[in-house]
Amino acid sequence: MRYALHRLGFFAVTLWACLTLNFVLPRMMPGNPILDMMAKYKGHVTVQALQAIEVAFGIDTHASLFAQYWQYLGNTFTGNFGISLTQSEPVSQVIAGAVWWTVGLIGVTTVLGFILGTLIGIVGAWRRGGWLDGLLPPVFVVLSSIPFFWIGMLRILAVSKFMPTFPTSGAYAYGATPGLNWPFIADVLQHALLPGLAILITSIGGWILVMRNTMVTVLAEDYVRMARAKGIPGWRIMLDYAARNAMLPNLSGFAMSLGFVLSGAILVEYLFNYQGVGYYLLLGVVNQDYALVQALFLLITVGVLVALLAADVLTAIIDPRTRTGA
Amino acid sequence: MATMQIDAALPRTGAAERPVWRVWRAIRSNKKAATGAVILLLFVVWSVIPGQIAHENPLAFAYGRSLGPSATHLLGTTASGQDIFAQLIWGARETLIIAFVSGVLSTLLSMIMGIGAAYLGGWWDHGLNLITDILLVIPTFPLLIVIIAYYPNSSLIPLVGVLVVTGYSYGARQLRAEALSLRSRDFLEAARVRGERRLYIIFVEMIPSMTSLIMAVFLGTASYNVIAAASLQWIGFGDPNSQSWGTMLYWAQTGEALQTGQYLWAIGPGVCIALLSAAFALLNYAFDEIGNPALQRVSRRRSRYAAPWRTRAQRVR
Amino acid sequence: MRRLKLIGAVVTAGLLAAACGTSSGGSGSSSGPSGTLTISDESGDTWICQFNPFNPNVSTEAFGPVYEPLVYMDTLKSGKTSPWLATSWAWSNGDKTLTFTIRNGVKWSDGKPFSAADVVFTFNELKKYPALDLNSIWTFLTSVTQKGSDQVVMTFKTAGTADFYFVADQTAIIPEHIWASIKNPATYADVHPVGTGAYTVGSCTAENIKYVANKHYYMPGEPKIETVNYPAFLSNNTANAELADGQAQWGNQFIPNVQTAYVDKLAGNAYWYPPTVNNEIFINLKKPLLDELPVREAMVYAINTQKASSDGEYGYEPPANQTGIVTPTFSSWEDTSLAAKYDYHYDPAKAKQILEAAGFQMGSNGIFETKSGTPLSFSIVNIGDYSDWVLVMQILQQDFKAVGIGLTVQNISSNAYDSDLFTGNYDLIYATEGGGPSPYYEMRQWLLSSNSAPIGKTASSNWERYDNPATDALLDEYPAASSAGQHQIVDELQQVLLSQVPVIPVTESVDWYQYNTKDFSGWPTPSDPYAQPSPALTPDIGWVLLHLKPAS
Repeated sequence: MRYALHRLGFFAVTLWACLTLNFVLPRMMPGNPILDMMAKYKGHVTVQALQAIEVAFGIDTHASLFAQYWQYLGNTFTGNFGISLTQSEPVSQVIAGAVWWTVGLIGVTTVLGFILGTLIGIVGAWRRGGWLDGLLPPVFVVLSSIPFFWIGMLRILAVSKFMPTFPTSGAYAYGATPGLNWPFIADVLQHALLPGLAILITSIGGWILVMRNTMVTVLAEDYVRMARAKGIPGWRIMLDYAARNAMLPNLSGFAMSLGFVLSGAILVEYLFNYQGVGYYLLLGVVNQDYALVQALFLLITVGVLVALLAADVLTAIIDPRTRTGA
Repeated sequence: MATMQIDAALPRTGAAERPVWRVWRAIRSNKKAATGAVILLLFVVWSVIPGQIAHENPLAFAYGRSLGPSATHLLGTTASGQDIFAQLIWGARETLIIAFVSGVLSTLLSMIMGIGAAYLGGWWDHGLNLITDILLVIPTFPLLIVIIAYYPNSSLIPLVGVLVVTGYSYGARQLRAEALSLRSRDFLEAARVRGERRLYIIFVEMIPSMTSLIMAVFLGTASYNVIAAASLQWIGFGDPNSQSWGTMLYWAQTGEALQTGQYLWAIGPGVCIALLSAAFALLNYAFDEIGNPALQRVSRRRSRYAAPWRTRAQRVR
Repeated sequence: MRRLKLIGAVVTAGLLAAACGTSSGGSGSSSGPSGTLTISDESGDTWICQFNPFNPNVSTEAFGPVYEPLVYMDTLKSGKTSPWLATSWAWSNGDKTLTFTIRNGVKWSDGKPFSAADVVFTFNELKKYPALDLNSIWTFLTSVTQKGSDQVVMTFKTAGTADFYFVADQTAIIPEHIWASIKNPATYADVHPVGTGAYTVGSCTAENIKYVANKHYYMPGEPKIETVNYPAFLSNNTANAELADGQAQWGNQFIPNVQTAYVDKLAGNAYWYPPTVNNEIFINLKKPLLDELPVREAMVYAINTQKASSDGEYGYEPPANQTGIVTPTFSSWEDTSLAAKYDYHYDPAKAKQILEAAGFQMGSNGIFETKSGTPLSFSIVNIGDYSDWVLVMQILQQDFKAVGIGLTVQNISSNAYDSDLFTGNYDLIYATEGGGPSPYYEMRQWLLSSNSAPIGKTASSNWERYDNPATDALLDEYPAASSAGQHQIVDELQQVLLSQVPVIPVTESVDWYQYNTKDFSGWPTPSDPYAQPSPALTPDIGWVLLHLKPAS
């Protein structure tokens, strides 16, 4: 119980810290978004027109910082994130449009990466010193140290050279009308293939290493030896005895990376023009769209916290030891 | 426990030269470590004497534009007439500086926040640990982008600063866990009983016995930072006037090197970044093997909570 | 040139039923519009499916094809006019009164008739809501009223011929019967725009805007193309690839190595990059040393504009000259004898000579110093996102160093840049001004003192803070002057630029324009520059669409 309160307290403080960071950062930065608009008009806009635009878009930069902070906290808790200056529509609407693409692409590949990586790690540790164990971990160590975007660049080049009609950008073809029909779904899957593969390759290595190393440790435990001595089939020992216990500590790592799904993969989404959360975050930053950046950053942090909370609960259910408070 | 026996078997005195010796032995005995070390050494040499290797001025717009490889321009020239080979050679310096400086600084910060928290205990531990945990949970790369984008003049200092502040938490967490487990060990108890001062215990007893983990933290951070910095530079958040591989990739991308057939312009710096980052990662991997006896031979050491933090949940992508 | 710009939202708008109420008359042509034209223009953002022509974020999406102005003015022909929604116009009362005769028989795309009342409504809406008045029209207008059934009378505070461009060509006319009930027109989304134009918005998604021909358009036989796709390209690479292989036929793209990467790839591919304004260095005239003319003169001789053009802009943006006249677009305005008299050209030795003659001494570090030892070192502010400009900065740095002037380059984010530019927080800054249908417009932006503001205050233009009553008087005389008189005034303005050097033009900013002649004809070309050819420019995109037709 004490442990649970402790954790909840931690989540609350983290949330507050993130909210405050969110508030402070944009205000420390030079320039303002209205000037950006003005720049687009190459100086034809008068100061009066600018003030009128400020009022129209609800950017009141003249209130005191403290008042702005309270207003900001209030707005956040009522789910009012304001109007995105660059999108000319409510931030919540922008995010609603972006978030599912990210969840679809990054979420699916993260889960796939975890499952594949864990399986390879299990088998690698089980057949320690075998060819799989000798080959895969080092290969993935090297693979995951190659800058992701650079592999992406080369892959786009290769595809456009050898399969010029294969899509390398966007979430679906621009002519397509979104809807739940096969041609559209096939189109979406095709567009997701390259970025998805890229994420898979760069994320799988980490899971392999972690799983392999915990597996190795677990395999040395007494109960595993005991199971062997009892003559239980090898694959059952591997899966039921060793892997299950070895997975436990990896769950919170997995939960965290699920949480990070929402942050999108900024570079992936940028390179492949995939209009998810990461892409909007990047462009919000470039265009100084406070409202959008704040809401996205908050969403990402909340995503991580919720995932962590879920992992805590799950671990407590599976592993009674944690309940006593580790 | 097995690990304790190993620790106990090693001499406690002469801690000063032991870590160095251990690192050397580790590198020699492990193929992966040796590969990593050789690559790293090569790059260090490059970055010390770039002028001896490439004779052209990497910044001068002095040559024909978009030339192919030739004897005078080994890798050809950029779309604005700069020598690619010279840029590649000169680019090593800044990339290495970013890796080492940010790696060392963030390892130091990790040590202060991690070991400090563990040793001081009480409210200090709570406070420092809370900050670290928050930074661990907040998505680093987006934060990195948000901060660096707003920096009025993107030179190296803000880049390194942001990398350090956002990147230390993972190491601090590891070091704290290790320090906590060390705190109750016999040799530290012994030192306390002898009446040694706190700082003496931390610096002379504790830190040397954590060398391999500290080393691993440094290598992991450096490897991560090489890619993080290159990524930031590639999207255009670096100083476009700087001479580094990330910046080269930025120019190759804007000059559409791959589309216009100037493959070497984009491939060169990419390979170098990958090699450097892999060098750090290979050394790190080797250290993991050496530092964690469980991975070498059968052991009974438990690492229930150490494991999840041993990989970075947040990748640069 | 990778320029991250504003982005759009992922909104899926439903199909717009192009409800053209009345179907009274067949248009002149029997065949009707056909074919699909695709535009390739990387904006780095997805589309916002809003078409409010007065919202700076989306104003380019509808102005031209859907909303139309009164008159078309061709910048590339020094402002040659053609009737659009107005059939004729006349100046009176010492060029202070402008009377438009509005076209008859025009219908809005919802079938309601268009009239002079809509025009009057539009202008008064801008007066009522200053946030809409992006060209500051009401700083020079006093009233807009209707006269008779089809005439609109505008009165100006002073002679208004120079402002004709803004009221006639740059203001989109909106329907009163829809906008009159909009409470906040500045943020009005206008998802289903009702305009007079040759096209309506057929459908809009974040990825593509599909314009479809307005079958009841008032110009006989127009438009000839049935569908225009304007996809949102988020990266240069993709946009360039689609152009190169012919999936898109009209481009506004920067293509490195355009000959091999575009022209040679497909038969019919061609490009033309006409320059319209300058990219120039603004010199902060309120800073010590920079307020000394010899320093500024030496800078002009120091800069290798040819190299800035070839290595910085890959040769696509031509070198500029100190007269400020963009050639060849405005060559007829250039005072060549004056240019020859001052004879500015790249000459590092001459630059050093000027500095020595002005009493500067070469310091030990190769940088000139004043007698009191202050080095001749400056910083230049630039937008870090504009990679071509960053290259130009590197070239400038090397050029300046060669003549003994120190230059630090600050490549900063566009937000910080805008703020520095407007408030005068810089030594030197690289920037570009808005132009117009003659060189006068750019020069007025550069030189008119009332556009400026004290250091620290926001200046809408004239960022170098040039202040000369005689020049102001020249600029004020221009609108009322005869054609010859206007040329005379521009000559004198060139004299100002040459003798005072308040800004240093380095390269000329061009319209990026690629086109394919295989499936479509009627493109603007160097021999027939009937419009600014880039599809990103309003209302020119609409004017070009009225000239294009499927190739037979």
